[in-house]
Amino acid sequence: MTKPGYGGPLEQIDECCWRIPKSYKSGMQVEGRIFADDRLMGQIRADQAPEQVANVAFLPGIQEASMAMPDIHWGYGFCIGGVCATDPDQGGVISPGGVGYDINCGVRLVRTDLGQDDVQPRIQELVQALFKEIPAGVGRGGKYLFDRKQMRQLLATGSKYLETQGLATAGDLDHTEAGGCMPGADPDAVSSRAMERGDDQCGTLGSGNHFLEVQVVDEIFDDEAARVMGLEQDAVCVMIHSGSRGLGYQVCDDALRDFRPVPAKYGISLPDRQLACAPVESPEGRRYLRAMRAAANYAWANRQLLMWQTREIFAEFFGQSWQSLKMNLVYDVAHNIAKLEEHTVGGRKKTLCVHRKGATRAFPAGHPEVPDRYRRIGQPVIIPGDMGRTSWVLVGQPGSMERSFGTTCHGAGRVMSRKEAIRQAKGRRIDRELAAQGVVARSRSRTGLAEEQPAAYKDANVVVDVVHRAGLASKVARLRPIGVVKG
Amino acid sequence: MYELFDHTADVGLRMRAGSLDELFADAGRALFSVIVANFDAVEPVQELALRVEGSRRDDLLFDWLAELLYTFETRRVLLSDFHVSVSNNGLEATARGEPFDPDRHELDMEVKAITYHGLKVEQDGDGWLAEVIVDL
Repeated sequence: MTKPGYGGPLEQIDECCWRIPKSYKSGMQVEGRIFADDRLMGQIRADQAPEQVANVAFLPGIQEASMAMPDIHWGYGFCIGGVCATDPDQGGVISPGGVGYDINCGVRLVRTDLGQDDVQPRIQELVQALFKEIPAGVGRGGKYLFDRKQMRQLLATGSKYLETQGLATAGDLDHTEAGGCMPGADPDAVSSRAMERGDDQCGTLGSGNHFLEVQVVDEIFDDEAARVMGLEQDAVCVMIHSGSRGLGYQVCDDALRDFRPVPAKYGISLPDRQLACAPVESPEGRRYLRAMRAAANYAWANRQLLMWQTREIFAEFFGQSWQSLKMNLVYDVAHNIAKLEEHTVGGRKKTLCVHRKGATRAFPAGHPEVPDRYRRIGQPVIIPGDMGRTSWVLVGQPGSMERSFGTTCHGAGRVMSRKEAIRQAKGRRIDRELAAQGVVARSRSRTGLAEEQPAAYKDANVVVDVVHRAGLASKVARLRPIGVVKG
Repeated sequence: MYELFDHTADVGLRMRAGSLDELFADAGRALFSVIVANFDAVEPVQELALRVEGSRRDDLLFDWLAELLYTFETRRVLLSDFHVSVSNNGLEATARGEPFDPDRHELDMEVKAITYHGLKVEQDGDGWLAEVIVDL
């Protein structure tokens, strides 16, 4: 089933930005704005994603523009790589589809004092140890079991709860977006069905495009920022990409179900049922936000536990404590979330509900939410590339606040369906191809490596290049994987 | 009968059957065929009774599959055989399968959710057609 491409208008604003005019569809409250260059525009036009950008522009209270990042691709209602900010004071809405099923899917980067020479000779064994010990894949429960009372505390306070249990340090919390704990999270807003799905999944990797990678700093572009983040040429790092697991998916599912009759109730007419939304300042809107925050806290706790397990494995493997290896958290970012943030619109400061679906916050130097250590350089942005190719570390720039509500891209974005990727992989040993490139990969699913093969994704290097040139976030370092564990 | 079809990052289930009852039964099998790589290895040795309420047929399909997904995740049971009875108010079903056994069953994809995208249940010639996309 091939979808027709986008046939509507696209006007180039500058070399990295395109506009879908408000006049394109009657009902658009603002224009559409896609950050991309000529190289990416061809792929983007072949996808229905620009149509979705135009549809999002219908949402009540939307400010400025319905935006999309260079890694944009088609999604459910909202495209992946979309940014949409609404003003609650103007009846602005919140939409679960603007966050995604995997609430607070995100990524964290952990640095170490190990160099490539320390790790490369034993990479096979290290990947094997990680593969064996880190719970990953469908149907595999985690090692950390929380009773209902503990789970409620975890949902309410995320990484903060883990700190009380000796599973997180103050430094870990400081270097996590929102301190790993969004205020206003309410365990009571999370259904028992969601609680059950999340029961034994905190501290598990999941499947699909989630991964745990051992990476090497390949090239540094900003010496000062890299130094502040503790990244050196050829240093070994670990990158963890995962989200809120079954609990988050169920919270989204519950919300979409609850929101079925809601737009009609508030007289909101939508071009796509999957844009179901409610005013932020409505019982339904508030309830979803409370549940979403709980799921977001679960995801931060999840990534914290994955990191904790990784630290223990490294300690055992290298025969020294993780503290002496200085396996410190560089930063953790969410890329599927909705947040109430202060932004300047039309010269005035407003609190807006910013939806980021497959998009990452990128606050600049000086912003109060950037941790003390990074205040001078800006918020670190972690961009997971696709398996077998590069990942990136960027730092937020003032341009993001001016142009994209403090947002940048999240990764590479798929160009090939899973089935197509598997078809193209037929007869090929993806694990051997990766090994030939110096990447040891282990996956728990039969088709995992094939469907996640590099060709299935856009080139992260191009995506990052665009956000750099657009002034949203600038390059700090490029990382290259040497070991991959997937579910 | 059922088949899987491409959909960007996810997968679509397409069912065709002579009756609604068979259609929904096929949908159940289609879903588990995505989850389990060796679906044929699932033995129908345990029985579960399930019911779902709803009058709109497409939403009912959605809720049926969501119920199956929830059952799999929370009870760690794989289901391969379905006997479904669809009425105007919902459906009642007997599903047969067995607990997930990591030594025999090869789990493949993690299905995050059932989506509304392109969701349809409609009459097609002499029979029924249904399509639904699941998020991986």
